[in-house]
Amino acid sequence: MSKQEIIEELKVIVKPYIQDDAAFDSLTEETDFINDLKINSANLVDVILDIEEKYDIVIDNQAMEKMLNVKAAVEIIESQLTEK
Amino acid sequence: MIGNDIVDLALARTESNLKRKNFLDKLFTKEEQLLVENANNPEVMVWNLWSRKEAAYKIYNRETGIRGYFPKQLVCSYESETSGTVCCNERVYYTKSTVTKDFIYTIATIEPQFFNQIEKINLDYKIHKTNGIPSIIDTQTALSKPVSITHHGRFWEGITI
Repeated sequence: MSKQEIIEELKVIVKPYIQDDAAFDSLTEETDFINDLKINSANLVDVILDIEEKYDIVIDNQAMEKMLNVKAAVEIIESQLTEK
Repeated sequence: MIGNDIVDLALARTESNLKRKNFLDKLFTKEEQLLVENANNPEVMVWNLWSRKEAAYKIYNRETGIRGYFPKQLVCSYESETSGTVCCNERVYYTKSTVTKDFIYTIATIEPQFFNQIEKINLDYKIHKTNGIPSIIDTQTALSKPVSITHHGRFWEGITI
């Protein structure tokens, strides 16, 4: 799966939790879940659980620590998928 | 150093599903999960602990410059519904929480004696941001004072010291 495909799937995952539509529409790798998309920090765990369910992967505490932006999320998904 | 965090319980009820599989496990230590399990009102306990972690994280982030999503490393020691500490990598933060039927509000400090020096601010203050960290200028002394701001749903709270 290409990086761009993962980003597109990630957009679908985060959409229910975002509170800034403009930032969502112009989403790039650099987009920050909390500062840009204004996702509530208590909802970031839902994003993480949704990613785990969608890709059937486990995001451990160490990986979760970095889950603040699109780039980090894509890297974590990519590395978990190659381990499968 | 201060931090604060408010949870609008009505909004939290619509935003989060506490019964979601693995939800609590990702956010809370085993001990904290036991507190939730044994609480008369598990929902209030979840958001009480969460607001403590968030308030403490704001100080930790400012002190260390470390930004991340590591709620289980912010370990709550729950003394009572209104007080406790949060430890994060050897650092200790003191917390005071207010629990009402509508919201849970926590203030965190690095020293317990700071609690009585904290002042509330309102939206009239001109709040500056330096590297994302808010402050106000004291009109008497012309010195910059740290600020912590939180808002969720119907509620907004700002404090300075």
